[in-house]
Amino acid sequence: MAEKSTQQYLRSNDVNEKLIASIDNGIIILDEELSIFYYNKWLEIHTQLKEVDVLNHKIDEVFTNINGKTLKRKIKTALRMETPTFYTATITKYLLPIKINQLKISGFKHMRQDVSVIPFDKEKRLVALIITDQTNVTNTNNLLQSNIKKVQDLNNELIKERETIDERVILLKIDTNNLITQTSRAYTDLLGFDKESIINNDYFYLERLQMPVALKEEIQKHQREKKVLKFEKVSLTSEGKEICLLSTLVPQYNQSAQHIGFIIFSENITNAKLLQEHQEKLLRNSRASAMGEMISMIAHQWRQPLSVINTIIATLKIKKELDILEDHLITSSYNRIEETVSFLSETIDDFRNFFKENKELKRVPMHIIFEKSNNLLRSEMEIYSILYEEDIDEKLLITTLQNELVQTIINILKNSVDAFKENPHDAQKLTVKSYESQTCITIEIEDNAGGIPKDILQKVFEPYFSTKSKNGTGLGLYVCKTIIEEHLKGQLTMRSRDNKTKTIIELPKNVVVS
Amino acid sequence: MSNITLTEDEKDVLQELMNVAYGNATAIVADMLDAFASLSIPNIKIMQTAELLNELHDLKGDSYFFSTQAFAGEFSGESAFFIDNESAQNLALHLELETDEDLQDAILELTNVLTSSLTTRLAKEMNTEVKFSLPSISKIPLNEMDQNDSFKEYSQVIVIDTQLNFEDQKINGEIFILTKDGSIEWLKNQLNNILEAMM
Ligand SMILES: Nc1ncnc2c1ncn2[C@@H]1O[C@H](COP(=O)(O)OP(=O)(O)OP(=O)(O)O)[C@@H](O)[C@H]1O
Ligand SMILES: [Mg+2]
Repeated sequence: MAEKSTQQYLRSNDVNEKLIASIDNGIIILDEELSIFYYNKWLEIHTQLKEVDVLNHKIDEVFTNINGKTLKRKIKTALRMETPTFYTATITKYLLPIKINQLKISGFKHMRQDVSVIPFDKEKRLVALIITDQTNVTNTNNLLQSNIKKVQDLNNELIKERETIDERVILLKIDTNNLITQTSRAYTDLLGFDKESIINNDYFYLERLQMPVALKEEIQKHQREKKVLKFEKVSLTSEGKEICLLSTLVPQYNQSAQHIGFIIFSENITNAKLLQEHQEKLLRNSRASAMGEMISMIAHQWRQPLSVINTIIATLKIKKELDILEDHLITSSYNRIEETVSFLSETIDDFRNFFKENKELKRVPMHIIFEKSNNLLRSEMEIYSILYEEDIDEKLLITTLQNELVQTIINILKNSVDAFKENPHDAQKLTVKSYESQTCITIEIEDNAGGIPKDILQKVFEPYFSTKSKNGTGLGLYVCKTIIEEHLKGQLTMRSRDNKTKTIIELPKNVVVS
Repeated sequence: MSNITLTEDEKDVLQELMNVAYGNATAIVADMLDAFASLSIPNIKIMQTAELLNELHDLKGDSYFFSTQAFAGEFSGESAFFIDNESAQNLALHLELETDEDLQDAILELTNVLTSSLTTRLAKEMNTEVKFSLPSISKIPLNEMDQNDSFKEYSQVIVIDTQLNFEDQKINGEIFILTKDGSIEWLKNQLNNILEAMM
């Protein structure tokens, strides 16, 4: 019974009107010329305009933001089609400018609206505009969109990072049974194996040939203790090439902190290793060659003093056999031998220091340098009748590495003596001069022992260049050049003209030796 | 997916109905655009959604506007409208639109007009009614088309190639009416009723 009376009640009252009054939508009825015929409560509240104030006014005059032309088109089309046309919140945003006061919707000033333009009365050319508040939906949508964008960006980044890791990081994952569960492309590329042929293999089995027992034990110990281990190891590529890897073993856990295996990151240090070995070899080589050169130089510089000692001993022997050996000769010979032997040992020290830095400079009179040099050559010059002339101011002082300069002068003078032996004549003469200018001290040594042909002169400073078939090592002038130009920062030149050879040494007065 | 297909006869009837509906739509579009516009005779195809996606894949060129509108009733589904950028610009020019928003609104309107009038008329011919929801629009690169999951919901697509001709410019678009299996069955039924009535 109750049901029936309710139904009657509903029929007798205008349900539609009641509903429309309380509906949560804006409803406007318009004609084709945009005049307002109906304006519901919802709109009155939201726009704060009373229906009486807007009736018969044109909607685009009440709300000046409305594009009348577009609205007219939509109305006309809706009436023509007999189906609705629309405004959408996503695009048009809103038709009626209704301010929103909700704090939580930060981005929008006005309510977002979907509007359906519904054909209402075809005869009277009326349409109903149904306005739905879409602010929350739009806002949620926007938030969603921007979050989707963020997620996408992050995802892209992640993918890229994953790719770079795969490409760059030499990586191997093994489970708790040491079975390989994952390899990076960098790993398979480096070693030249297929991923398939490695995955699920036992790590230690795979490495059995290249892993020393001690290293295996060390790794296993760290595995038991779940500790990080750094180790160096050689691996073989599929082509049998050796690759040196610096690897790090890191225990791996899953999200629930369960131990699931190990990651082995590696770094290819083959090139670094090779470089290191190469450099060590070079270093060894250069040390060896320096040592060799030093010994050759000492040997070269020993020849003159040794021959001096030989000569003295030979003289003693002969005099003894002839029984004309006098005591004072024994004494003087003995002294000279002693002197020369100490020169020999000094020479060793000099050449040991040859490649060292910070050698000790000495200030000495120039004529002393020549006296020391001549000590070893004087008798030879006498024997071969070489006239020796010296023009050196007694007061001329030089700051220099004395012994090295002496060795130089010995070599030069000895070359002249050698040349006279090859090419003897009546007027053999050796002239020595030294003088100073403002910045340097010059030494000139000249002989008339035949000179040097031009093509040979070009090569005399090269190590091991010698025209002397028997005893020449070709080191003499090379030693001179090294001492004068590299150690004393001077200049050594040779000229030859008219059977004469002139050697010129120019030394800076302010020496900074190296 | 669906194995339901339309027979040749059924297709013929559908084509007839579409021609009628399309004629109606043409007139309305002309009114809406307030211009003398003619729509070329439609080229109607019915295909599986998968085929359509393949076809879309083959399309080259720049971006397209893609708008959709769902409709509900005994015959339900979603209609979609594709319009290339150039055509969209032509439309903007014709309607003297200034902003992108106005243009998108106009495209939606065009979509709504084309699909509503088409579908309404089609429904009417088949003695039913349809109700439309708000259209929505997106501007998407075609290669992302097959990631558009909503497409995959549908089994059959009625594809209508259209060309709106103005005095000096053309607007090319393509209308798709996407339907689900249930609707296709219903459609098949209705088409057969009409076929019988014609016999
Ligand atoms: N005063 C000189 N007169 C002629 N030729 C010379 C003279 N000084 C050097 N030479 C030429 O220069 C070459 C190189 O000299 P260097 O002192 O470097 O080696 P060497 O004298 O041949 O060998 P070593 O020094 O071991 O006896 C000599 O072989 C010689 O041909
Ligand atoms: Mg020599």
